Parts: sequence; C-alpha cells; structure tokens
Amino acid sequence: MRVLVVEDELRLATNIVAGLREAGFAVDHAIDGIEGLAYAEQGLFDVILLDLMLPRRDGKSVLQAIRNKGVHSPVLILTAQEGKTSVIDLLNLGADDYLAKPFDLGELIARVKALIRRSKGTSSPLLRVVDLSIDTVRQTVTRGKKSIDLSPTEYRILEYLAHRPRAVVSKKELLEHLYDYDWEHHSNVIEAHISNLRRKLTLPGAEPIIETLRHRGYRLYAEGEL
Amino acid sequence: MKTSASITRRLMLAVLLMQCVAALVLIATVANHERHVQFTVFKTNLRASANTLFGALQEADARDGSIVLDLNGLPQPSKAVYSAIEADGRVLGAQGEAPRLSTASGTFTDAYIGNEHYIFYVLTGERAIDPGKPFAVYHHIRITYGLPMGRVWHEILEAIRFFALATLLLLGLTAIFLTWLIRRFLFPIRELATEADRIDSDSWVFDAPPSSKHFIELRPLASAMEKSVLRLQSSFEQQRRFTSDAAHELKTDLAIVKSSLQVLNMRRRSVEEYEQGLLLGLDDIGRLETTVQKMLTLARLEQAPRNYNQSCNFAEAVLEAIAQSQPFAELKQVQVEERITKENLFVVASKDDALLLCSNVLMNALQHSSAKESVEISLTCENGVVSLAVRDHGAGVEPEDLPFVFGAFYRSDASRSRRTGGTGLGLSICKAICERAGGSISIANHADGGAIVEMKLPIIAPDHAGS
Repeated sequence: MRVLVVEDELRLATNIVAGLREAGFAVDHAIDGIEGLAYAEQGLFDVILLDLMLPRRDGKSVLQAIRNKGVHSPVLILTAQEGKTSVIDLLNLGADDYLAKPFDLGELIARVKALIRRSKGTSSPLLRVVDLSIDTVRQTVTRGKKSIDLSPTEYRILEYLAHRPRAVVSKKELLEHLYDYDWEHHSNVIEAHISNLRRKLTLPGAEPIIETLRHRGYRLYAEGEL
Repeated sequence: MKTSASITRRLMLAVLLMQCVAALVLIATVANHERHVQFTVFKTNLRASANTLFGALQEADARDGSIVLDLNGLPQPSKAVYSAIEADGRVLGAQGEAPRLSTASGTFTDAYIGNEHYIFYVLTGERAIDPGKPFAVYHHIRITYGLPMGRVWHEILEAIRFFALATLLLLGLTAIFLTWLIRRFLFPIRELATEADRIDSDSWVFDAPPSSKHFIELRPLASAMEKSVLRLQSSFEQQRRFTSDAAHELKTDLAIVKSSLQVLNMRRRSVEEYEQGLLLGLDDIGRLETTVQKMLTLARLEQAPRNYNQSCNFAEAVLEAIAQSQPFAELKQVQVEERITKENLFVVASKDDALLLCSNVLMNALQHSSAKESVEISLTCENGVVSLAVRDHGAGVEPEDLPFVFGAFYRSDASRSRRTGGTGLGLSICKAICERAGGSISIANHADGGAIVEMKLPIIAPDHAGS
C-alpha cells in the first residue's frame, strides 16, 4: 500500500516516513501544500496523511482541492491545532480521520491500516480468500493450516491483490501502489516477486492461486468459486 | 455581617429626611404664628365680650335709676367666668367665681380657677341712665370677664395636627413618587448591567444600549465600558493566540521526540542504529529545550516588576555580542562591519538581557545573509538616547509581514516551518527587553535592499548605574 505524507516539519516527516516504511508501506513525502496536492492528484495513494499548517498552501485548502478533483484516497489529518470545531470542519470537507500531535506512531500506523481496510470495503483486519487468510496486523499468511513465510514485498503484493480477489490488477497499478516515487526502477523485479509468491502459495498438485494474464496483469484466483 | 447599601434607599432616606426637617421648621413657624393669631383673637374676643356685657347693662324696670344686666339674647359661653360689679359692691350679674381684681381697666390678668388657666379682662366704665337730664343717674361699673386659655391651646394644637397630617401625607406621596422616579432613572443602568453580563471569554461583544447613551451621566460609563471591552478583547486574543501558538510549538517538538523514539523502537536494531537514533533524539530534545527556554525568557521579561532597576553598559554588550557571533559569521562568510561609539552608555537592562538583545538581532541578520555579504552594525548616542542599528543585505522582510515580525511565534511563513531555524520568539524577546528598558525596536527594509533593525534606548546617568 502506498501512503503520501504531507508534512513540512522535516524531522517529524522523516520519522513518520521511517515508521510507515517499517510497517511495510510505500511512502512518499511532500514538503508543502502545493507539492502535496501535485502528488495527491495522481490518485495513486491508498492513504494521504495531511498536516494542516503547511507552507505555500494550507492543509485545509489542499484537502478541498483533493476532493474537488475527485481523488477518493482516505485522508488522515495531522495537526497540533486546538479546537473541536476545526475537526468537524475537516471531517465535513472530506477528511476521514484526525490525529492530534503529539501522536503515537503505533496508533498512526493502526489508523492508516484501518483507513485502507475501510476504503477497500472490508472491516476485519483478517483478509480471507477461500482457504487463504492474511492477517494484516501481524502481516502473516496461512493457507489451510499451513503458515506461509513471505518476504515483505511478497506480502505487500499478496495483501494488495487480496483486497480485490478475482479482479485483474495491472503490473503498473501494483508498482504504483507498492513502491514510492521511483517505482519504475522496480518494474523488472515485480515479476520475480510474483513468481516467488506463486510458488510459495501453491499447494502441491493444485492449480496456482495467482494467475498471470498476459498484457493485462495479475489476478488472485479463487479456485472453486469460478 | 456584610450589608448591601442601596442608592435608591439612601436617596429616598435623604429626601424624606430633608422633607421632614422642612416640615418640622414649617410646623414650628406655623405653630408660633398660630399662637400669636389665636392669642390676638382671644384677647379681642375677651375685650368684645366685656364690651358686650357692658352694653347689656340696662335700666331696671323699677325706673329708679338702677341698672341690671340683661343678657337676654346674648348667651355667653358656659366656660366664661364674669362679673359685673357696681362701685358700691352690688353685683349686677355674674357667672362663675370671678376673682376680684384691682387692676386698671383695659388690662389682661392671668388667674387660675380650679386647675384651669384663665385670662381675665377688666373693664371699668360709667353707665348713665337718662344722661343729660336733671335726674340722670351715673353708675360706676367694673366688669371682669375671663375665658379659659385651654381653648386657645386647643386651637393651636389643632392647627399643628393638621399640618403634621398634611406633611405625613406629603411624605408618603413623595416616597412613592421617588421610588417610581428612581426606578425609572436607574433602568438604563440595569440595561447596561444586563448587556455587560453577556460579555465572557467567548464573546467579547459589548454594545452599550441606546438608553445608556441617552443620558449624559451614563455616557462616559458606557463608552468606557465599550473601550475597555475592546482592549480586553484584543489582549485576550493576543494571550489566546500566544497560548495556542506555544502549544503548537511544544506539541510539534514533542511529536518529533516521541516519533523518533517510537521509530527506533519498532524493531530490534544494531548498536550503530541505536546510537544514531539516540543522537537524533537528543537533538530533538535540545530543540524542545530551546523553545521552552525562550518561552520562559519571554514570560520572565513580560512579567517583570515595574520598578526594574538593573543597568549595564550597552556598548560593552554590543561588543561582546559581536565577539560571540564571530565564529558563526566566519562560518557563513559574512563580514561584520562595526561603528561603535566608545562612550559608556548605561541603559536599564541586566547585562544578560542586553547581550541577549544584541546577539539575537545580530544573529538574525547573519542568518538572513548569504556568503560574501556584509552586516553593518552601528551604535550612536544622541540626546540621551542610544541607538543601535543592524543592517543586513539579505532579502529583507515582505512588506505584509512587517507589522507582525515582533509578534510571538511569527515566522514569515504561515507554516511556522523551522527549516530556516529559530523558534519565532527571538524578536519578541528583543521587543520585550527594549520595552522594559523604556525604549523601542523597529524593523524596516532598506531602500538599497536588506533589512534594518533599529533599537532606541534611553540612557541613564552613570551614577544611577549599578545593580
């Protein structure tokens, strides 16, 4: 999953980015409102973390602009400003959640995950596709009763696909959502990751669970339901 | 016990008391006058009665020249005491026991009959029967006529009672009227109070009601209240902004410290990573410490006592600040050009504060300078005012920012971004130091580019100097 962090306080932004990357997210950072809006407009982000007091363009107007442009990424507001009315205003303007500074990094990550779950249409942190179950909190995968050990990138690919079982996900989309701004450099490795993932997930003698559709992308194949 | 005074009650009491005094004086005057009138009437009455009696002496039926008192048709008051006596002692007529008085005719005499106080009038005269005729008979008559004084006093008391009752009635009416009037006049004050009651920290609105502006006595109060509410509002706003900005600063610094440690704690790391993380964390805490320290400095300066009497040689402080900033200037490759007067210039500021002021302004100028530029610092003294000007050749201040740069936490960017360094408190601290020294600080853009900060502080005589 790819997260955009719009925060001008450089030390804080560095920490948030580091924390989110540790938690397995692809993270981009924008230093001011205008840069943040330019990033957000691409519509690639699964969550946007938005500071309110930003140089050049304040967070509130960035939020309005994002929603006016039809970007539906969930927005989590970060601010040290006081006052309940501003929270109401922000939620009414299209923000999805609110976290006051100084926040707990663990809480921030949990909220980001919750926002992603909800925006993908699930509410349980446990994703199930047939006999495959993915614990998005512990980041563990089991198939049947067998626990499957995945690398962080493999896990991220699987989680992304599992949010939309049976849908075709293009390679470009995968790259855009799983990597930061330099995703194009990862273009060649994604195939290797997919093939590793397929190998690890496939039960002996059964059909592979991840399908490759030539020139179209990948699909988490829900056997027995088709 | 705490008692509450009432203007209405006091006013009424005062008016009623004055009315009472006036009424008493009036009653005394009236009583005195009434007494005089009543006595005159009484005496006239006595004289008239005596004369009537004299006139009622008629020739007797016997036609022997004797006379009798014929009071037929002339009834006398039952309380009256009289006697008509001839010179030979014959009593012609009497009522009651009139005393035999030897006083001259036409005089009044007091006497008591029983316990009653009487006044008697004595009239002597000659009654002639058939006067002018040869057989005329002359009778010497002495009439003593008395009436009780009690009646007069009764009349006087009646008059006093009438006036007293009238006064009481008047007092009652006045009280009612006054109450109504005062209530009516105090109504604008109550309206004013109701309006004032609506002021609180959330709504600093005070519109003096029209009634309070209508009365010239209330106009100063209403306008003073309006003005002080405005003043309070602006100072409260300022306070609130400061608190909110301070909270924002502290929370941001705390968020950095907290998140740094939390990132470090997300998983097991190598010793080098921990070391680096700790150093970064210490750095973050150092920044938090600086912010807190500056806030405390500002609070100390703004809450300083009025009779602050520390002083120091300002020229020394300037030179020391220049010396202290030398390494930073060299690092930034900025030339500091100084024109410092060598006089002893004592100002009202502690040595530390003066140094803080000079180095804040100087460091600010250095920070806004680029390599190869210069910062000019000049210290002059004229008419008992020392003037320190620091000029840089940087970008200057945006004109729209000029009025705000001395406000707490003001940075020339709404984001309060700290990438340029500083907490946004430095110039506020400078302003507080200058104001406590009885001086001023101003900032302007130089016509040839760059900003110029100028401080003007009054100097004090060296013999007053000394901490």
